[in-house]
Amino acid sequence: MNTPAEKPQSRSQAALRRLLILVGLAVVLVIFAYGWDVTDIDFTVTQQPQRQQNVVNALSELLSPNVFTQEYTIQNTTTSFVMDCPADFTAPAVVPSEDAPYIEITPACGASGDLVTVTGYNFYPNALARINWIATDGERRIRQTLETNDDNFVTRGDGTFTVQIEVPRIRGTAGETHTIEAQGSFPDGAPHLSETTTIVAEKMVETIFLALIATTISIVPSAFLSFFAAHNLMRPVRIPLGNLLVSFTLLPIGFYVGASILSNIAAFLMRIGSENTAAAAVTGLVMLFGAVASTPRLRHAANGQEHSQLRSIIMTSMVVVVSIALIGLVGALALMINRLQADGILGYIVRFIGSLGEIIQLIVVPLSGIIGAFGLASIGTTLTRGALREVSIPTSHILGAVLGALAGAVLMGIVATIGMSAAWLGLLTPLTAAALASPVLPQLYRRFIKNNPRPMGTERFLLSVLSWIGALIAFITAYNVLDVSQALVEGVLPPRLVVASIAGFDVYLYVAEAMLIGAALALITGALQGTRANFGIGSVLYNITRTILNALRSIEPLIMGLVFVIWVGIGPFAGVLALALHSIASLGKLYSEQIETIDSGPIEALQSTGANRLQTIVYAVVPQIIPSYIAFTMYRWDINVRMSTIIGFVGGGGIGFLLQQQINLLRYRDAGVAVLAIAIVVSILDYASAAIRERYI
Amino acid sequence: MLKIENLTKVYENGFVALKNINLEIPDGQFVSIIGLSGSGKSTLLRCINRLIDPTEGRILWNGVDITAASDDEIRQIRRRIGMIFQQFNLVKRSSVITNVLAGRLGYINPMFSLINYFPKSEKERALAALNRVGIAEKAYNRASALSGGQQQRVGIARTLMQNPEMILADEPVASLDPATSHSVMKYLQLLNKEDGLTVLCSLHFLSLARAYADRVIALKDGVLEFDGLPSEIDNERFKMIYGEDAVEVEIH
Repeated sequence: MNTPAEKPQSRSQAALRRLLILVGLAVVLVIFAYGWDVTDIDFTVTQQPQRQQNVVNALSELLSPNVFTQEYTIQNTTTSFVMDCPADFTAPAVVPSEDAPYIEITPACGASGDLVTVTGYNFYPNALARINWIATDGERRIRQTLETNDDNFVTRGDGTFTVQIEVPRIRGTAGETHTIEAQGSFPDGAPHLSETTTIVAEKMVETIFLALIATTISIVPSAFLSFFAAHNLMRPVRIPLGNLLVSFTLLPIGFYVGASILSNIAAFLMRIGSENTAAAAVTGLVMLFGAVASTPRLRHAANGQEHSQLRSIIMTSMVVVVSIALIGLVGALALMINRLQADGILGYIVRFIGSLGEIIQLIVVPLSGIIGAFGLASIGTTLTRGALREVSIPTSHILGAVLGALAGAVLMGIVATIGMSAAWLGLLTPLTAAALASPVLPQLYRRFIKNNPRPMGTERFLLSVLSWIGALIAFITAYNVLDVSQALVEGVLPPRLVVASIAGFDVYLYVAEAMLIGAALALITGALQGTRANFGIGSVLYNITRTILNALRSIEPLIMGLVFVIWVGIGPFAGVLALALHSIASLGKLYSEQIETIDSGPIEALQSTGANRLQTIVYAVVPQIIPSYIAFTMYRWDINVRMSTIIGFVGGGGIGFLLQQQINLLRYRDAGVAVLAIAIVVSILDYASAAIRERYI
Repeated sequence: MLKIENLTKVYENGFVALKNINLEIPDGQFVSIIGLSGSGKSTLLRCINRLIDPTEGRILWNGVDITAASDDEIRQIRRRIGMIFQQFNLVKRSSVITNVLAGRLGYINPMFSLINYFPKSEKERALAALNRVGIAEKAYNRASALSGGQQQRVGIARTLMQNPEMILADEPVASLDPATSHSVMKYLQLLNKEDGLTVLCSLHFLSLARAYADRVIALKDGVLEFDGLPSEIDNERFKMIYGEDAVEVEIH
């Protein structure tokens, strides 16, 4: 700083910095100006008198919600009026009355568009009154008075009034005698809630429960997903590649066994259970008892490796069968309860349990499939774990190739089947191929060029470039072979050409090609890695879960609502589904971020005691996250109430539906009631959820 | 007998935490591991129960190769190795007894443990463990309500639930004041003398090592610098382990 050589440099640096700031400001200005232009900002519009009048009218009606209403007694009196003054017209004499209301009209004849004066006597003092014009067709036309420009006017303190009205323009009325009616009204009885208020209250209850149900439905799935979306839990999860490949290859077989064979257990129990509960209950209890009773005995018998394998296999099969049976039993019970006749509170509960039973009935087959898939995968891992660990290095690479080819084919088969359902989902197939191919080049480099297990700096960069190159080649190959561009550009789905039919399943050419690509790529990857390589399955699951959650979260509930309305029709159910789906994504993200902030010490401590992964999560993770889970769930309910007030705009039920109707009918005073109700409920919930969150955080 | 052969640990970022460590620790010994921060003390302890996977080398415990154990086997081995941490690593929001019972998770039926069910015998065992470290009356308090020394005693009680044969203590008293430090060290000494447990305890202060350990192992930059009796560490050796500028601080 003191040396002269440094001074000019630092000065020029400062000048440069200032220049950069100026350029930055200029860029910001340009961006802002563009935004101003794009958003059509035009304050001259706001100055137009007509628009100002309109907005004042709308606002004043919105701010005068007709929450209350009152009964009125109506006074009625009429007089006659002759159109277009015939030559022989003489005005009829007005007979004054002492107490009954009467009106006088001057002149008593006239043409369309003429101004006439109506004078009334003996009306209710200081009360609302109006003038109706009744032509020969008998229709009442309210005439606005020139003084008030409104339907109603107010009578004087002595019960008289004088107003000017215009003779209505009705065609072909010359010479006809029309009737002019004056109506005075006087409030009678106490004010009470209007019909609008009742409907709004009803819809508001629907809205609150829509939000509540959507939030509750989303809690369990999002809490489950949040564990997979937390990198501190998932990053360390690695399993030997061989075990992964074995279990992955077994997944579809297990699914088939579960869905087509084991689901019959549940279906059988549901059938007899809904007819004879006692039989089902006995069967279920016997199975449960058998399972629990045999556990310690098996554990006791397990000494050698063979025994422990056998025990583990028997345990897994039993868990699979018992859990499918339990699902069937619960479903049977629910269906049986559904057939009870009940009203009132009990009726709600019966219908609720009944619909749970129906849900179980719907999902029992896929659920059995999933349970079967994981059961078989677990049995496969148990059986092969020992053997896979013992194999020699060359054998492990051969095994890796064989198992890799199988698993790759299965994976690409599943992905391609999904890809056939929509054009852009076809992109999944080349993407998966890219993922399968990405480890190939780095592996080759490590194996044949440089045998350094722990890359650093530039070498790591080189490896990542290599993996991208491999992925890109695989992507382009799969993209061209499977003709994805046709689907992308023209929206044409892959042709459903059947190449073979295996066990009743049609194998499409598209899927078969994808499976071949998958098998080839995974064969190379598997052969290079070998079955003993540690595969970071946790990171893969983490990335998949995160991607799905982020994609779901970016779609607004209103758009989801549109889709669900197509599926289940207009009504609150569509709203519940839309809000629940969005809540799952966003709570899943919030929850997982909470998991990522927990203290990892207790996890380490529990691992060191020999606890398994699930136990570690239950005892070290769950107690730490419960308070913030409660807080976030409250916050989400708060958001959902806000969202549910407008989900009705797309047909999702709740108060939004009513509000939209009222706005479209220009009934702003009724809309005002809905807006008021929303404001009250949202602010109460805002306060309540803040208070509860404060207590927990 | 714990036998460590050619143990080397290189972290993902290339940092070499342990270099070719060879050690033999007979059963029932109280071993203190000393060295500067970052010298590899924690890594060595965590390699023994495989919280960290070593890069090279073998660890044999009573003839079983810990480094080659599968996931299931390592859980069986970990049940017999207790661990105590500098930050106690209790679940602060859970009750003291739940924290202690968690030490038993490796033994009990996993299904029952997931719904927070522990047999009565296990609860009695937990209370007995708490009684042994002198805080049975705090059993139903939240762990966060306890002082540092009490929390570390809960950590010891949790370890006792494992019915361990060896205890790894990673800086167990570094977060405690001197008086509490001695009380915690005395409990470790008690387990070593009464129950005959092998204790491996990393310490900052040489004075604590002198007071409690049968044997001192010193690490410097991941290399075994010294292995011998506490009394053998003279001023020259001290400066070798801790660096030229170090001055020994007494802790009473």
